Amino acid sequence: MWGEQKLIWYKRILVMLVTVLFAMTLTFILIRIMPGDPVDSMAMDMVRTQGMNYEEAYRQAKAILNYDPEVPIIVQYFSYVKQLARGSLGQSMIYKTSVVDIIGGSLPWTIFLLSISTLLAFLVGIIAGMYVAWKRKTILDPILSVYSSVMSSIPNYIVGLLLILVFSVWLKKLPSSGAYDTSVEPGFNWKFFGNVFKHSLMPIGAFFLTTVGNWALAMKGNAISVLGEDYVNAAKVRGLKQRRIILSYVGRNAILPLVTNLAITFGMMFGGSPLVENVFAYPGVGYFLNQSVGRRDFMLMQGMFLTITVAVVISNFIADILNSILDPRLR
Amino acid sequence: MRNITVEFMLRQGTIKAVENVSLDIFKGEILGVVGESGSGKSTLASTILRMVSSPGRIKEGEIYFEGKELLKMPEDEFNQFRWSNIAMVFQAAQNALNPVLKIKDHFIETAKAHTRMSENDIIEKASKLLEYVRLQPKQVLDSYPHQLSGGMRQRVIIALSLILDPKILILDEPTTALDVITQAYIMDLLAKIHVDLGITMVFLTHDLSLIAKIADRVAVMYAGKIVEIGTVEEIFYGPLHPYTKGLVLAIPSLVDDITARRPIPGSPPNMLDLPSGCRFAPRCGYHMIEYCDGTVQAELIEAKPGHFTTCLEWERMME
Amino acid sequence: MRDFFAVICRNRRALWGMIILGIFLLMAVVGPLVVPLDTATSYANRYKLPSWEHPLGTDYAGRDTFQQFIHGSREVITVSFVTAIFTILFAFIVGTTAGIMGGKVDAIITFITDIMLTVPSFPVMMILSLAVRITDPISFGLVLSIWSWAGLARAIRSQILSLRKRDFIEASRVLGLKVTHIIFAEILPNITSYIAINFIMIMRNAITASVGLMVLGLVPFSSTHWGMMLQMAVGASGAMYGSSAIVYLLVPIVAITLFQMGCLFFASGLDEALNPRLRTQ
Repeated sequence: MWGEQKLIWYKRILVMLVTVLFAMTLTFILIRIMPGDPVDSMAMDMVRTQGMNYEEAYRQAKAILNYDPEVPIIVQYFSYVKQLARGSLGQSMIYKTSVVDIIGGSLPWTIFLLSISTLLAFLVGIIAGMYVAWKRKTILDPILSVYSSVMSSIPNYIVGLLLILVFSVWLKKLPSSGAYDTSVEPGFNWKFFGNVFKHSLMPIGAFFLTTVGNWALAMKGNAISVLGEDYVNAAKVRGLKQRRIILSYVGRNAILPLVTNLAITFGMMFGGSPLVENVFAYPGVGYFLNQSVGRRDFMLMQGMFLTITVAVVISNFIADILNSILDPRLR
Repeated sequence: MRNITVEFMLRQGTIKAVENVSLDIFKGEILGVVGESGSGKSTLASTILRMVSSPGRIKEGEIYFEGKELLKMPEDEFNQFRWSNIAMVFQAAQNALNPVLKIKDHFIETAKAHTRMSENDIIEKASKLLEYVRLQPKQVLDSYPHQLSGGMRQRVIIALSLILDPKILILDEPTTALDVITQAYIMDLLAKIHVDLGITMVFLTHDLSLIAKIADRVAVMYAGKIVEIGTVEEIFYGPLHPYTKGLVLAIPSLVDDITARRPIPGSPPNMLDLPSGCRFAPRCGYHMIEYCDGTVQAELIEAKPGHFTTCLEWERMME
Repeated sequence: MRDFFAVICRNRRALWGMIILGIFLLMAVVGPLVVPLDTATSYANRYKLPSWEHPLGTDYAGRDTFQQFIHGSREVITVSFVTAIFTILFAFIVGTTAGIMGGKVDAIITFITDIMLTVPSFPVMMILSLAVRITDPISFGLVLSIWSWAGLARAIRSQILSLRKRDFIEASRVLGLKVTHIIFAEILPNITSYIAINFIMIMRNAITASVGLMVLGLVPFSSTHWGMMLQMAVGASGAMYGSSAIVYLLVPIVAITLFQMGCLFFASGLDEALNPRLRTQ
């Protein structure tokens, strides 16, 4: 039995690795099929900004990008893989620093934003959903339906825009861009944290407002179907207190399918991060992906895309693990 | 129980699942309540523990237990009362266990909700009960419900019902979902519990033959009313209501000639559109047009001491 | 067909959804024929508030917002429609192939769809917008659909697998009916409602994605598409900061929201109506 379990995990890890490998290859292919020659555009950029002559710039660009359009694709692919194995993802054309550094600087911001938004929406959502399911006829029920229909129909970046309109333009209370003011020194002090907090309020708000309704509805549905189960009735007839029934009977059984959803949703939000982060100029992974696409920075593009994919793969993996831990029926 | 009426308000109309029922349960006896599906027996039983599921509600009536009026008790007090005085085993009880909790957690939470027993004491008592229902405590207590078979879960439920030493145990079709052999096993067990612990039991079933083996008295329900109450011998050998007689005649037997079996003619009543007068009249062989159709029959007539019936023709039936 | 409409009318949600979508459809088809598009710029008229002459005010270059809104609806619906068609086509082909052929083909296809499901679609669309010059609804629809069919394909495949186990497929096989006949006559009717609901939801997602791409500035599509209106309002012309420009900003936002809601109601109403679930209240 134990050996059989191990086999399943090995298989899963294998699938994960293959997916990441595939993502790498995919970025490689995608970028190679772009019209236009990235070496040329980088060289032109260098000529313009640094006043080099073209041949020199072209040579340098080739080295930086590790890309020689004249060499056959297969050779290019292998040099790409070799480069990855060395732990390097190339250098960004726009920012002139290594891609790995940019990832290191941006990933924490995105994780910060997404994890707080998701957790907050989840917690508030399941409490609301549970309440509506338990107390059958409350005014919160129709409010929830309307709210959810409207808020899930407005794309989250548009909600972000509206928030900026209200809080930055009209009320002038919240900053509309960046993760923190440039005047504040990053460090472990309250001033910094407070500043970061102010800057993150609206982006988190945008995510939160658009997803909380969905979590609540999902929880409500689950809770209602659990409430119809025999064991809930049996618990009541045994004289168990309401609180115990809500928590251990309805709650635990209703949340079960949602927790794995949580991990999966978290991963998916990485995919949507370019939009909200762009609206708020929030320096996360999505923001830099957007910059790289807009300004044709291929190295950065590859790196950011890879990061996002890996994040999704890991989230799905965590979802799998959570699922098998939490449901005793699966053990 | 006195004058219990339970009604269900549906879109199509109001159904009186139980109408004006009065019943006494004597200490130490085994009472069988017999009736087909829809007769109202399950609803009647859930009234005792105030577990009538919506859209139903208890419209009127009183239930007295050891001097207390149960239907008037405040909710908190009654919640404590549940299980510690009266316990109930539902139909298809295998699903009565929480899939995410271990069996021992079920026992612990139940006992902790009513008493101040320590966890160790609870587990000790639970182990004894599990052994009593012929299960292995060590294995079972640490298992999750899905790891046990249907019959095992049924026995766990029975053990769970005894954890607080209730005075009355109500069992709603305790064996319907099980195969015949397990059925016999469980019935045996229940008889043993009755003998050893002296608990008053109420059996609800549609299967008259099941009652025959184990019950002291029997109450027969039809279309929301009790039509006959008597000792088990009186019901079987001298039924005083045509419905009861029909039920008895319909029981197949290993020794009798199968062609002597007679089903009850007609079909079950439509609870939305009941005939005025005797509800069994449309299917009755002793039907007298003059009065069976007209008067609303609510009273049980005491034909013989302790033997009640609602049939106005009961004297004819004694022949 | 008649039953279909009867079912919809009885379900309030679906009915409202259909009405909203119907209005937009009408707007898209008839609108541009009735309402002219005056592209003349006139800076003196910029950001005027709604008036009788300009029911929704004017934009940053003095053009009438209402006209753009009407013409934009045609663009929006066309792109979404094309996306939905492509997506469903791909999904159907891949899904049925996997479901019917089984074996190695099925395994390979499942593997590919798993990977496609893991790699998030929006970044892919972003990168593709570089590689493909998007100039018309067809190319736009293609880009939007190319990474979106995997989920539906999976679902169709599993529907087919479960239908396969059912007797009437075996019976058709035994009767020697050709594979194509089995697909069209036996399988299709069973998944029609499922596909219809998905069609609406794909259109919904397509709008969010297409507007997103425009707001990011990656796809400069026609200037009347609501997404472009939004992009211009935010990026190019400071509509966020002037007070009368608010209308120009809000028009595409409200339009998008209403359209999405219409799709949501229609699809979920359809779902409720066609797949009755147990009532629990």
